Amino acid sequence: MLGRDARDRRERCKTGIEGLDNILNGGVPRGNTVLVTGSVGTGKTSLCLEFLVHGSNTNEPSLYVSVTEPCDKLLKNIIPYDFFDDSLMTDGKLHFIDLPTVYERLGLEKAEFDFEEVGILISAIASIVHELGIKRLVIDSITSVCYRLKSQENIRDFILKLGSVLSEMGCTSFLVSEISPAEERYSLYGVEEAIADGVIVTGNLERRGDLLRTLQVVKMRGTMHSRAKYVLDLTTVGVLLVPLLKGGSVAGGG
Amino acid sequence: MTTATQIAEKLDSLPESSAIALKIRAEQYFDIIRGILDIFAKKKEMDSIYVTATIPCQSIMNALQVLEIDTEHIWFVDCISQIMMSIGEKHPHAIYVESPTMLENLMLKVEYLIRRSEGKKNLVILDNINSLAIHNNIKILSEFLHILVNNLRSKNTYTIIFSMEEYETEEMTNMLNLVCDETMNLEAG
Repeated sequence: MLGRDARDRRERCKTGIEGLDNILNGGVPRGNTVLVTGSVGTGKTSLCLEFLVHGSNTNEPSLYVSVTEPCDKLLKNIIPYDFFDDSLMTDGKLHFIDLPTVYERLGLEKAEFDFEEVGILISAIASIVHELGIKRLVIDSITSVCYRLKSQENIRDFILKLGSVLSEMGCTSFLVSEISPAEERYSLYGVEEAIADGVIVTGNLERRGDLLRTLQVVKMRGTMHSRAKYVLDLTTVGVLLVPLLKGGSVAGGG
Repeated sequence: MTTATQIAEKLDSLPESSAIALKIRAEQYFDIIRGILDIFAKKKEMDSIYVTATIPCQSIMNALQVLEIDTEHIWFVDCISQIMMSIGEKHPHAIYVESPTMLENLMLKVEYLIRRSEGKKNLVILDNINSLAIHNNIKILSEFLHILVNNLRSKNTYTIIFSMEEYETEEMTNMLNLVCDETMNLEAG
């Protein structure tokens, strides 16, 4: 069993989001598969994109796999970060792929994947990561992928195998999970958070009529970390975080 | 010595990254603003971040123009215009917080402006604690000040918190004494 010192010695993948790296005691342990979960409009995609942009700026080739929204549309709406330059894409440091295109090429056109097809999909993602030398991966959203996997066994198998393959290649991955605001769990199917190495929850906290965007790291294997709730802002200098003030919090809120 | 030079000299004598509670009377307001923004900050070549929770930043900007104070290095975090539904045309040097109750967002906007200043030294003015106390209870306000001041101190930023003498309660005095390095009362100029 790893002791506290050993856990904190694991190599880190600095997200580049200063507040988050502080919360994580230096960054995400390299190779971890992290579930980034929250309801709509809470900043999941922006957080993940920033993670990739910082990676590509520090010579870690990064890949965004879009499942629901075409990448072109996503890029039109990206926050105009001070540290983002189109050359990251033309230089091959930052890649965007539409997963439906991959499905098409693999002939995975059924609405529901069986065990074998899950294996084909994992192999396809793994070979893209390998060929492009990807060190940071985002799948947005894993919920949409899981929608085709249907059974909890398939979902468990998919995340477990994908996480394992990516980790072996030294690739740190963020899997976006969509939940409805009223959900009290961290994923739609209830298995994703148990298998992932880490869980970052984004949310909306209503306090006396004000709506605050929040972030909380509830789980991260391989590092000591804060489990407190923070308020976040999405800005052109990136995601900024400050502690949630507790003096005015409503009981059980958010 | 005028009130403006008096405040500038007092600030100059303090160590960098000090947090100062400045007890002011209404009639001293513009002299103090001149002393801080036009003399002290200019001499130190600092960017000033002016957090207003009392009157809309546009009114302050108008006053600065009348006083012929250069606003090129002054940025505003305006916590009051939006709640008054009176933003009108947004000023390029102003960021708006929806409500003075959103203290975390206030901190985030200050943080944003500090990051945008790209390594320049900064001065943050909080105008004023009495107005924030109208919208927030003393518990959350104390927590807010504690985090804000310590965060700014770690960034070598000066913090000046205005408190209107006539509206300061004992609780506020205790809170300011706790978080600030120095409390200043100015003599009539």
